[in-house]
Amino acid sequence: MDEFQEILQDFLVESFELIDQLDQDLVELESRPDDLELLNRIFRVAHTVKGASSFLNFDVLTHLTHHMEDVLNKARHGELRISPNIMDVILESIDLMKALLSTIRDTSSDSGIDVSGCVVRLDKCTGGKGDVETPAPKPAAAVEVVEEVEKESVEDNSPATDEPDYDNMDADELEAEIERLLQQRMAEDKAKRESKKSAPSEAKDDVSEEEENEPALNVPVAVTPARRPASLRDDADSGDGAKAASPVKKQSTVEQTIRVDVKRLDHLMNLIGELVLAKNRLIKINDDVEERYEGEGFLEELNQVVSIVSIVTTDLQIAVMKTRMLPIGKVFNKFPRMIRDLSRELNKKIELEIFGEDTELDKSIVEEIGDPLVHIIRNSCDHGIEIPEIRLEQGKSETGTIKLKAYNEGNQIVIQIDDDGKGLDVEMLKRKSLEKGLITEKEADSMSDKEAFGLIFKPGFSTATVVTNVSGRGVGMDVVKTNIEKVNGIIDIDSEIGIGTSMKLKIPLTLAIIQALLVGVQEEQYAIPLASVLETVRISKDEVYTVEGRSVMRLREDVLSLVHIGDIFEVERILDSSEYAYVVVLGLGTSKLGLIVDTLVGQEEIVIKSLGDFLKGIEGIAGATIRGDGGVTLIVDVVAIMDMAKHVKASILVDTTSDAAMLTHEKTKASDYAIMIVDDSKTDRTIMRKALEPLGVTLVEAGDGQEALSILKQGDYNFDAMLVDIEMPRMDGYTLATEIKKYNRYKNLPLIAVTSRTGKSDRMRGVESGMIEYITKPYSSDYLMSVVQRNINFKSEFLR
Amino acid sequence: MSDRLKQIIKKQTQKENENLDHADDIVQLVGFIIGDEEYAVPILSIQEIIKPFPWTRVPQVPKYVIGVFNMRGAVIPLIDLRTKFGLSPKKHNEDTRFIVMRDGDDIAGFVIDRLTMAIRIKNSNIGPAPDTANGDDTAIDGVGKQADKIITILKVKKLLQRDF
Repeated sequence: MDEFQEILQDFLVESFELIDQLDQDLVELESRPDDLELLNRIFRVAHTVKGASSFLNFDVLTHLTHHMEDVLNKARHGELRISPNIMDVILESIDLMKALLSTIRDTSSDSGIDVSGCVVRLDKCTGGKGDVETPAPKPAAAVEVVEEVEKESVEDNSPATDEPDYDNMDADELEAEIERLLQQRMAEDKAKRESKKSAPSEAKDDVSEEEENEPALNVPVAVTPARRPASLRDDADSGDGAKAASPVKKQSTVEQTIRVDVKRLDHLMNLIGELVLAKNRLIKINDDVEERYEGEGFLEELNQVVSIVSIVTTDLQIAVMKTRMLPIGKVFNKFPRMIRDLSRELNKKIELEIFGEDTELDKSIVEEIGDPLVHIIRNSCDHGIEIPEIRLEQGKSETGTIKLKAYNEGNQIVIQIDDDGKGLDVEMLKRKSLEKGLITEKEADSMSDKEAFGLIFKPGFSTATVVTNVSGRGVGMDVVKTNIEKVNGIIDIDSEIGIGTSMKLKIPLTLAIIQALLVGVQEEQYAIPLASVLETVRISKDEVYTVEGRSVMRLREDVLSLVHIGDIFEVERILDSSEYAYVVVLGLGTSKLGLIVDTLVGQEEIVIKSLGDFLKGIEGIAGATIRGDGGVTLIVDVVAIMDMAKHVKASILVDTTSDAAMLTHEKTKASDYAIMIVDDSKTDRTIMRKALEPLGVTLVEAGDGQEALSILKQGDYNFDAMLVDIEMPRMDGYTLATEIKKYNRYKNLPLIAVTSRTGKSDRMRGVESGMIEYITKPYSSDYLMSVVQRNINFKSEFLR
Repeated sequence: MSDRLKQIIKKQTQKENENLDHADDIVQLVGFIIGDEEYAVPILSIQEIIKPFPWTRVPQVPKYVIGVFNMRGAVIPLIDLRTKFGLSPKKHNEDTRFIVMRDGDDIAGFVIDRLTMAIRIKNSNIGPAPDTANGDDTAIDGVGKQADKIITILKVKKLLQRDF
């Protein structure tokens, strides 16, 4: 049974691939009905599927394909001209075939679909009366296959010469001929088996040896290779004059491919991801080492190794990405057929032009964009292209054109869909949206043309007055937007009334490893997918306006709504924001948003990691990545941010001084006062401690600037003043003062410099960095005490 | 002579059986302190115990989920058990540890105040959770009785379950 399953799998994969190609060929056939090569190709598909399905006992499918084959065979011999009506029937039968194959895939049987109607129509095409019996019983099916094998081998040999005989024979004659050929074939096979015990096709034959109709079984086992056994047999078949040269030749020109399980590729991609992270880390360490050991000889060598590793990693990543790439033609292939059906249904004349179907995209993305493209093209056919009469009236050609283009642009793939239809009417779009209550009057007035075009993506929006088979339900374009956003794509619409509409889908090449813009807010960092970043601008605070409680800014001629990343991610404002802010302009689908951040950190290649089950689905977070320093950085979910921005209250750029108030607690005893002593010399610290101890205040010591800063950050004490030495290792007094002043809550903390530096410039630097007092060593303990008392507003009643 | 041999063999097998019984009976736990209480989880559910290191805050989660951290390439959530158990947060000190627990595919790090020790405890000495904390809702699996104290045994599955 396992073997059967395996064969079945092969059969399905093969059949679906064949059918993909079939659709396109058929539409082409309609325009070139006399193309024999094309006809032969189509015929072979029907034939192959039929042969295999009969072997696998799918009687319904065999029945259907058999009749398809009849029609195609007649066409092949010029006895039947493919008219649009016949084409409709053929296409219908192919749809049925697809449905049957899907059923087989899901249930391993082909029951449940009624093909009789279609078969009757097929039969009529061939001139039959339409009275076709239902699926043949098994033995008959087997015979049929034999017949097909015969046909194939003969046909392959000489497509045009000794063929017509069969068609001229009546049923009985044919039967007899089959019988004869069958006998002959069986004898040959037996002889061949004896002579070629080691031939590769042997095993397959042996499996079926006990069965009566073994020759038939050669074909279905694996469909593509089937040609070879057939031709092998032909070689042995000395009775037939003509030799089959062409099928063999074809084999050699076929591209060399290996089928690989997608899971393996995914695993490979994960490993590459890890490698990219390690590479980032290596680069970071290299930078650190470079800084520390500047000028040392080994650095150059290290540099070389790091850059080689980095280059190879990048190449490897690209190579693995390529293995996952599929030509977009796989998606495009189904459109000629769709356009054909639609134009007949809508009584329009539409031509589809496809460019760049070789452009490659990641498999997962290819799967996502199929649906959106279907909807866009349907939309263009239904709403874009006018009916022929109107087109003529407007002086356009009767036939409308839809152009489907795919091309690379930087790290993105652009899929462009142009039509030369009536274009989008901005006023009409606004009116319809108003009617349906999708936007308010006010919004409609302030809307730019581009924004108005974006309305077509709103769920529930529809311009059609009647719901047709094709469109008008108002769901299609919403699907487009959702799917494109899912792959971090951008939609760009351009339209001119009477000229046409152009839609551009910009899609990142891959999903697993992306380029990201790293931004900082307070002490945190976030990664924004670069594909969604349109630009970054630096603004000063007075460029931000507030309109109806929302922050906006003017970006060239547009008004851009703004939201602070800190408001979205509930970041605590500890650090004082500087005079300038950076705005990252995000674009997604058709909408734009300005995200205010404190700093721009840089661009980095990041690997998307899931946050796991426990934390999945956090709004605004798409995942996490591991940085060069081993830390975790969260990745912004641009789609969600756009949505969240609508509900976030603007607290932007409003200085929160409330924290400062925390410092002035009511003091009830001397020890409520806290003072930090920062000095690298233990002796100096002891001297200061001795001088201040009589006051009874709490004293905390730190050995250098960094220690002092971390004590401040811990927030265990509410310091009332700090005594700071200037000369210190790791972080000196000036730097410490500057750092402290960045924190809102320590803005007003009195910093007293205690130093032996007495130069005027030193004093100036002290003042610049925020020191309010300057005590020079040596000093008397009374003087120190009085300065401190003054600065901390020490209440005299606490003095003992 | 053969009688004695038999006796010895009998004794030995008896001993072996006893040992086996012993192994069956005993549960190995790792004990730790949160606040003033001692808790324990089965040793097999612990992937590793590590010293605290930097983590990244995650927005829009309950207070007790303090963030995520990187454990050899995997991004793992970090949960503060003090906050989760309703205690006030405390500064991490040199006793603080992250315990990484795993149950199937679910994995998370937990901040605890201090480790105590690995505990071997007989199954018979483990009582059910008190009635007030029973049912599916509780994170308490049972109460382990020891000579001088009792230990609350926690359900790892429950701890790793997302409840927000």
